[in-house]
Amino acid sequence: MTGALPFDPVFAVTFESFTDPEFWTSVGILAGTYVILTLGLQMNVGYTGIINFGQAGFMAIGAYSMAVLTTGGPEGDGLINFWLSLPLSVLITVAFGLLVGLPSLRLRADYFAIATIAFAEAVRLFALNARSLTGGNQGLFGFATDWDSVSSTIEGWINSIGWSDPPTLFPLLLVVWIVAVILTVVLRLLQNTPWGRVLRAVREDEDAARALGKNAFAYKLQSLAIAATLGAIAGWFLAINLNFVNPTEFEPIVTFVGFGILILGGLASYWGVTFGAIVFWFLFEGLRFIDLPLEEVQIASLRYVIVGLVLILLMAFRPQGLFGKREEMVLGD
Amino acid sequence: MATETTAATVAAAPRRNGGRILEAAEVVKHFGGIFAVDGTSLDVREGSITALIGPNGAGKTTFFNVITGFYRPDGGAASFAGSPILGRAPHAIARMGMVRTFQITKALARMPVIDNMMLAAPDQPGERIVGLLTRPGASRRREKEIRGQAMELLSVFNLEPLADEYAGTLSGGQRKLLELARALMTRPRMLLLDEPMAGINPTLGRRLLDHMQRLRAEEGVTFLFIEHDMEVVMNHADRVIVMAEGRVIADGTPEKVRTDRRVIDAYLGSGTVREAGAPEGGADGL
Amino acid sequence: MEAGALTPRRALTPVERLREAANRRPAAAAAVILGVIVVVLVASQGLHDVAQTGLTGLSLGAVYALGAVGLTLVYAILRLVNFAHGDFLTFGAYMAYLVNVTWGMPLILGIFFAMATTALLGIFLERVMWGPMRARGAGVLQLILMSLGLALVIRYVIQYIWSTEIRFLDVDVTSTVNILGLQIGQTKLIVIGVGVVVLMATGLMLRYALLGKRMRALADNLELAETAGIDTSRVILWTWIFAGGLAGLAGVMAAEVTDIRPELGFTLLLPIFAAVLLGGIGDAFGALAGGLVLGVVIEWSTLLIDARWKTFIGFVILILVLLIRPQGIFGRARSI
Repeated sequence: MTGALPFDPVFAVTFESFTDPEFWTSVGILAGTYVILTLGLQMNVGYTGIINFGQAGFMAIGAYSMAVLTTGGPEGDGLINFWLSLPLSVLITVAFGLLVGLPSLRLRADYFAIATIAFAEAVRLFALNARSLTGGNQGLFGFATDWDSVSSTIEGWINSIGWSDPPTLFPLLLVVWIVAVILTVVLRLLQNTPWGRVLRAVREDEDAARALGKNAFAYKLQSLAIAATLGAIAGWFLAINLNFVNPTEFEPIVTFVGFGILILGGLASYWGVTFGAIVFWFLFEGLRFIDLPLEEVQIASLRYVIVGLVLILLMAFRPQGLFGKREEMVLGD
Repeated sequence: MATETTAATVAAAPRRNGGRILEAAEVVKHFGGIFAVDGTSLDVREGSITALIGPNGAGKTTFFNVITGFYRPDGGAASFAGSPILGRAPHAIARMGMVRTFQITKALARMPVIDNMMLAAPDQPGERIVGLLTRPGASRRREKEIRGQAMELLSVFNLEPLADEYAGTLSGGQRKLLELARALMTRPRMLLLDEPMAGINPTLGRRLLDHMQRLRAEEGVTFLFIEHDMEVVMNHADRVIVMAEGRVIADGTPEKVRTDRRVIDAYLGSGTVREAGAPEGGADGL
Repeated sequence: MEAGALTPRRALTPVERLREAANRRPAAAAAVILGVIVVVLVASQGLHDVAQTGLTGLSLGAVYALGAVGLTLVYAILRLVNFAHGDFLTFGAYMAYLVNVTWGMPLILGIFFAMATTALLGIFLERVMWGPMRARGAGVLQLILMSLGLALVIRYVIQYIWSTEIRFLDVDVTSTVNILGLQIGQTKLIVIGVGVVVLMATGLMLRYALLGKRMRALADNLELAETAGIDTSRVILWTWIFAGGLAGLAGVMAAEVTDIRPELGFTLLLPIFAAVLLGGIGDAFGALAGGLVLGVVIEWSTLLIDARWKTFIGFVILILVLLIRPQGIFGRARSI
């Protein structure tokens, strides 16, 4: 299961954890990471009308290329500077996005969904099996030393303004959310441009857009490339949070949770994504503390059952989510 | 997109292709075993208003779809203003100056009327992300310009007060006008209209036809339209092309075509028109 | 009419001519490609190895085929891409486990129980979820996401009850049978046998039985079938019975040759999609062929590369099908 916290959950479920700021900081980081991931889904689904089930795959490529470039693989001892690996990993992820999009965007919506999930799973399986490059199941670590020094610096600033004992991961929480907010603002701005207008038209009625001289395919490809970029960025934060990259972090459930958050916040609302992510993760993690006479694995399963039920119920009774508009749900059949 | 031309400029321009702006030769389109367009050849003179008529199932809309790039052709060739177009992507053909409307209007319902209009304008640097980043000023200026042009055009069709309404709230007739206005925003050289009169009341219809005539006279825009309303066809078209069973069966002035034996047979055969004493035609409709 | 600026039609190049021919007779083209693969493999690996892995692959293929036929039927008639279909397989596997291991009864009863309960699950969901959503005119995105939510619910309810512990059915996994010099596990052989028999029966039903004809009519044109007086809701119910029953059986078969865990179905879902698309979505015979071919080809891949890449190969095939010929081998020929 993904959404793993940086410490072993087995002994986390105690009442002390409920008030533990370290725990909630971790949850906040997860929420922020998923905001970035889901902004990509919102761009694709809410504003372009393409069903991208492969977002976890972009996350994986972003995280792994960053880790591999920085460490040089499981046997390596450093290759490229961490800060340089970041833009490179975005380039690599976007390249894959184009590779996937070029042949599959011409397919129908449901076929495209299958193509993208197949791509994401292929990425995960490759990461699992190409042991010499990715470390396989053992994963990769040791790429975050440069981040650690930044984190210490930020901690120093926080200390200097009077807070002497912030949670260990607080700097990461700050950075994730600052990035998430900046990206949300940028996407909002982008939507109000002529470019955004064409995108809306493509979503609304592709043929009408084409008849007016707009290259609908090119816009869909750009939308996918943007989602790939956002997925890569989310991948970095996931990797830094765990201090570790591993194939199990990129299973399809990640994309599905992203869709849950997307729907919760509402289609065609970038700020809704923030709302959806916070509500989802705080509730989801909060459910750990409900005192039920159940075993660990049962509580864990129950949480996912609830995710599934919420998805079903939302689709049935409020498909526009909490902030979306009803009409936004209808995707051209 | 083509620059504005006046009728005088059109008349004075050297005649390429003998003044033919659209040429189609043996265009073929089949679906499975059915040949919806079965070797259609026609040409349209620049600056003309040509009607494309024929019984239901003759292949008129399919032909439109093929030459505007929405269907892949199975055979033949076509060119617009001298450049080959068959098999090209629809957006590329639109950018060459040949713009079409749809039988069932495609007003972008969940976008405001003004957005529908501004969308259609050509040469928008803001439509490319690169343009947004490198020429933000130019993008903003163009937006202003387009907005002005859009409002002007909307007022011609009396749609100006509805500029901020969602296109989906417009009536059927208003949507048809919006689609025409929107198509005009693209500064086309030729407009292909698929049943422009269907579903609009006579007053609005007359306004539309007046505007067509004016556009032809002042700007040299060529029109090819599919119509079933014979009154419109007879009174407003320079020339009539008749299709039946996927082919052109007659081509000439409205008067000539109306009395053409083959045309009468084609309509009779599909059961559209029945003369007293003549046997009921078998249902031919595809 | 002058054709000044028009390009005259030119003769096709040999490559284009080949592609034209392949498009016109896709089944023949697919057979040729398969034949080429066989020849290359036999030449490099020897007939025995190819035949041996092929036989093993058939057991996997039978599972895929059983799952694929159900999925494709649901798509053909309801236009629903059911992401929860894999979890029907999981459900069937656990139902068989309940009967066979927990209650200690013979496996054959477990199989029937699995098929029956999964079919009932299908009917229940149609009544409670799919039917009402269709009546409300739900769109593609809504339905896909609902099936996703359903997939989560089924899988994690199963996990809630049975935990993540890996379980096994009470079957003979050691004895092997010798056919023409090839070895195959006894259980695997039974799986192939059962699978083929059931699939053929289903195929015959679709072809010749009244229900089958009605299903094909619905697949062709739902509205037309309704106006023609066919009781569409009954046919739809029967569709779910078949989809559920076949999926349940597929789950038990998978459990027999591997193991039982909550993610069983989801792991098989994408290869099943691949089989469906390979054969042509909506075509049951295609799903059958697609499943068997896929199973065999995936198993053959182990002759060339390490076995741990098996699943990866499956995905590559799925992606290739989508890109080269999304309508599959038999697509367009028939709707069922």
